[in-house]
Amino acid sequence: MASYLSALAILFEPVNFIMMYLCSLVGCVLGAIPGLSGGLGITLILPMTFALNANLSFAMLVGMYVGGVSGSFIAAVLVGIPGSAASIGTCYDGYPMTQKGKAARALTIGITGSFIGTLVSIIVATLCSTFIADIALLLGPWEYFSLCLMAITMVIGLSNGSIFKGLLAAFFGLWLSTVGADMVTNQLRFTFKNTNLYGGINVICLLMGTFALQQVATSYAKGNLDMPEVDAGSLKGFGLTVKDFMDNMKTIIVSLLIGLWVGFLPGMGSGISNLIAYGQAKKMSKHPEEFGTGVDAGVWATEVANNAGVGGAIIPMIALGIPGDATTVLLMSAMTIHGLQAGPMFIKTNPVLANLIFATVLVSAILIFVTELLTKRWFPLLLKAPYHYLYSAILMICFLGAYSASTSMFSVYLVLVFGAVGVLMEFFKMPSTPLMLAFILGSKIESYFRMGCSYARGDMTSFLTRPISLIFLLIAVYSVVGPLISKLRKSRKGN
Amino acid sequence: MKKVNRTYIMGIVFILFSLWVIWQTTMIPEKLVSNEPGPKLFPFISAFGMILMAVLSMVFDGKQEKKENEAGAAPYLDAAGWKRMALIMIESILFCAAMNWIGFWITSMIGMMVFIMTLRAGKKINLVFAIVLSVFLGSLCYFGFTKGFNIPLPKGEIWDLLGIRML
Repeated sequence: MASYLSALAILFEPVNFIMMYLCSLVGCVLGAIPGLSGGLGITLILPMTFALNANLSFAMLVGMYVGGVSGSFIAAVLVGIPGSAASIGTCYDGYPMTQKGKAARALTIGITGSFIGTLVSIIVATLCSTFIADIALLLGPWEYFSLCLMAITMVIGLSNGSIFKGLLAAFFGLWLSTVGADMVTNQLRFTFKNTNLYGGINVICLLMGTFALQQVATSYAKGNLDMPEVDAGSLKGFGLTVKDFMDNMKTIIVSLLIGLWVGFLPGMGSGISNLIAYGQAKKMSKHPEEFGTGVDAGVWATEVANNAGVGGAIIPMIALGIPGDATTVLLMSAMTIHGLQAGPMFIKTNPVLANLIFATVLVSAILIFVTELLTKRWFPLLLKAPYHYLYSAILMICFLGAYSASTSMFSVYLVLVFGAVGVLMEFFKMPSTPLMLAFILGSKIESYFRMGCSYARGDMTSFLTRPISLIFLLIAVYSVVGPLISKLRKSRKGN
Repeated sequence: MKKVNRTYIMGIVFILFSLWVIWQTTMIPEKLVSNEPGPKLFPFISAFGMILMAVLSMVFDGKQEKKENEAGAAPYLDAAGWKRMALIMIESILFCAAMNWIGFWITSMIGMMVFIMTLRAGKKINLVFAIVLSVFLGSLCYFGFTKGFNIPLPKGEIWDLLGIRML
């Protein structure tokens, strides 16, 4: 407790506080722009932190991290294009709400959901970091493989439309994830001697192509050229009632748990937790058929879960020295720059700095919440911009974002390719979520599977003989078979 | 006019694509590491999974779509819609090509103007405002990234060939 109070005292020193707040705001803006992210912001300020003391450095870096995740829902709600992979699920109900004239409500849910997710997860991380990390050590590659598989099948089983098309999209995503150098043998796969592909396909290119370019092209081709109206009346005040919270309490709690759990698993993050939480919210709903048409629970689920991933991802970073997601890898690099070693001894040897990281997440979340609530009336101004101006700017920023992700023209060309793929998938009525999720998880599924086989000396039955792994696998199978059986029953009843 | 069954087209496209994946996978050299399935396993799983799902989708979803088509379901896009789709995709391709050749700064300004003219779809616009906006946003992005963030953006190969030094 004493070290936490010391950390707070350091954080509230004027320079530290102002820089943290500024970085949170910049992160929020970067997160809101499709193709850019808080991760980019951290990359940009990382070299600056060489010259700064560790306290100020981490106040800035963590502020940027929290801002980046918190801001990513804005573009997803207002224009249906996710600011980053963390808010893919937010597009599914957030944007339809905007189209129905409920943009202000969707934004308030996004702001509040993000705040609740970050706040609760960081409190849990602060109090139980060491304890939770011990549990993670009990899991091996078998459990991680089965969990990843379960995550994909759960989303496919709950997605709208054909389950076969969902699985087809997932297998396609899995194949895309195999492009590049194999992580075990370093053999090149599907690279055609193109050095740009050796490291695999950049997720930004896939995201910008299948979401942004596809959406601009299809809405123009279909003639959907009017931006949605905004309910100006609901922009005043907080916009949510106690009843709204109570009605969605179950979704909020479950999404929090999912976000925390997925966040603290090494290598996974908000990009995955938001989709799993969305699928789970749909499964729990009494009216799952309404998901995708603009229901509150869809936005609550994704925004609570992706922000809960922040606290979740910090747990393994602080307690085990294992990054929870891509952005915490950058935070760990900053630790190395300052001669610090994350891991089980970090809290003991640097109690004030460890608590400063927790406190920065907490204070940034509160500041962003207040700032977003005060400024939310200006967010929908974006929708007042005529379609041709807004979408032209989005197209340009997408190509810019893709280029800056790898400083290579190849990434820009990939956006074009995936834009065409996205249009074709829309034409074939194939869902894009399983593709994204399988792509993000694909390399992890493969590495955990191969590690599991290797550790068990080639015995593939080890995935079935370990109880937790078996439970995950059974849920994975049921997620696909269950909806098929119920569909079959319904069609028989219909006949 | 007879409507195309999109699910059948999808099935055929993915089966052909999967066969290509299988053929390419067989050409990956095998480097043996003990107790390890190797680099070919997951590409094979993906390819066979795609074939299986494409066939199942053609059998079940294809039938469903056939019924919907017979009941008079609206087409995905009409001829004019496909033309618009082609136009915006071609413009995007040209934008990317130009980005490489004449650099991001000039391309972003001209490209944004072209996108605005296309996406306005016949609506009247204030030409001066559109030009100012294109120049402002293009310049803001270019100088913001190159000078502010220190992220290099393409300067344009043609200027190097002509010996002209761009900002």
